[in-house]
Amino acid sequence: MSSHEAVVRITDAEERIVHWLLAASCLFCLFTGLGLQFQAWDIIPTILGGYYASKLMHIYSGVVFTGMLAYSFYMWSRDCSFEDADLQWVLKAGGYLWPVKDLPPVYKYNAGQKAFFWILIVCGVVISATGLFMWLWNPLVVPAIIARLAYMAHAGAVVLLGAFIVVHMYLGTIGNPGTASAMITGLVSRAWCQTHCPRWLADHEKKEAQQ
Amino acid sequence: MKQEFVKLIDVSRCTACRGCQVACKQWNEMPASRTRQHGTYQNPQDLQWNTWTLIRFQEHVDKSGTLRWLFRKDGCMHCTNAACVKSCPTGALYYTEFGTVAINKEACIGCKACVAACPFDIPRYNEADEKIYKCDLCYTRLQEGQKPSCVLSCPTGALSIGKKEVMIEKAYARVKELGGDANVYGDKFVGSTHVIYVLTEKPEVYDELPSHPAVPFSIILWKNLFKPFTLIGLGAVAGLAGLHYLIKGPHKVHEKNEGGE
Repeated sequence: MSSHEAVVRITDAEERIVHWLLAASCLFCLFTGLGLQFQAWDIIPTILGGYYASKLMHIYSGVVFTGMLAYSFYMWSRDCSFEDADLQWVLKAGGYLWPVKDLPPVYKYNAGQKAFFWILIVCGVVISATGLFMWLWNPLVVPAIIARLAYMAHAGAVVLLGAFIVVHMYLGTIGNPGTASAMITGLVSRAWCQTHCPRWLADHEKKEAQQ
Repeated sequence: MKQEFVKLIDVSRCTACRGCQVACKQWNEMPASRTRQHGTYQNPQDLQWNTWTLIRFQEHVDKSGTLRWLFRKDGCMHCTNAACVKSCPTGALYYTEFGTVAINKEACIGCKACVAACPFDIPRYNEADEKIYKCDLCYTRLQEGQKPSCVLSCPTGALSIGKKEVMIEKAYARVKELGGDANVYGDKFVGSTHVIYVLTEKPEVYDELPSHPAVPFSIILWKNLFKPFTLIGLGAVAGLAGLHYLIKGPHKVHEKNEGGE
């Protein structure tokens, strides 16, 4: 064991940059979107220079979100593909809610992280597609009934995604001490890896040893 | 609310002179657009950002096989429960003290949500200034105790405006007088409109006139369910995460493989 380093590089710069561009554009869209949804919160458009400016920022931030969403899919969909052992992990709630034994060892991402990824992709695609549609075409060229569904679906997908983002923020920071550094410096402790992604760690160290 | 006003459109008295169409443009200083001859007197073909009211010319064969014109003055119905006001993110569309729906052009950001939401397909978008336009029932005239310009221009008495109760009573009296399929359109849906028709035919006979208008279900889901649930969802999950932290505590890393680190 002593031959191993105390810290392990778990994400590369590309992953961290995409993660933060996605997160920043997503949260900024949520912020401006809430300002456009709740008139009582007109402080949001006010500090951004008015409702029209707020609309434009929402749109352009949404473009960044869409691009980063596509890049995330390209980058992480393989790591986030489900495997048979994930069902056992889900049935035991990953050990987060009640004491469990024999949690199936995780490769890089556990079933909860994978589920979050796919909820992000599905909701993100709905939000991006309806948003693009509302911005460029709707409702001047399509029947009003379709246009109405776009506004509804945009808001509905935000409810789901917003709730999951809060879970993601909790589990990525204070809920799992030592995790946040994975998306800041890219380094986590070896013990952290042993706990959260033992199979990936074993693979990683085997590769390191071969070099 | 001071006093709700209702504009009554008695289509049985309309001769399709289109004085209202012209008066509307004149008072609201809306330019005309170049149009094409489509083989009908209906001109332009539909409501436009600069055409807030339009006489629709419809050829109708009645039950006895007689061909007749049906004239209908189309325009904003000024709903009590207006889908456009509900969907507007900035409050640009608002209810006036007369129960009508006016628009604050400065506040409009051209999101077009109202265009999608309106069950009567009334608001029109102007690409040039990215704003929505529609009839405001001459709000500034009503404030000064004047009739809307369309009502003022009408030579036959097809258009009239007055207190809501009085006008509804007048509409039913006229329907009784006309008999047959004549009916009052507007007082039975979207919380009652502030433009009410006396129709000579059943509503479904008329072009572009919904028989059962309502605030669309998708708009209700959006604004009454998803909108509050955005905050409820964020708040509830944040609360649950907090509870988890207090009860279970953070998920600790196993120390067993640390090898003395």
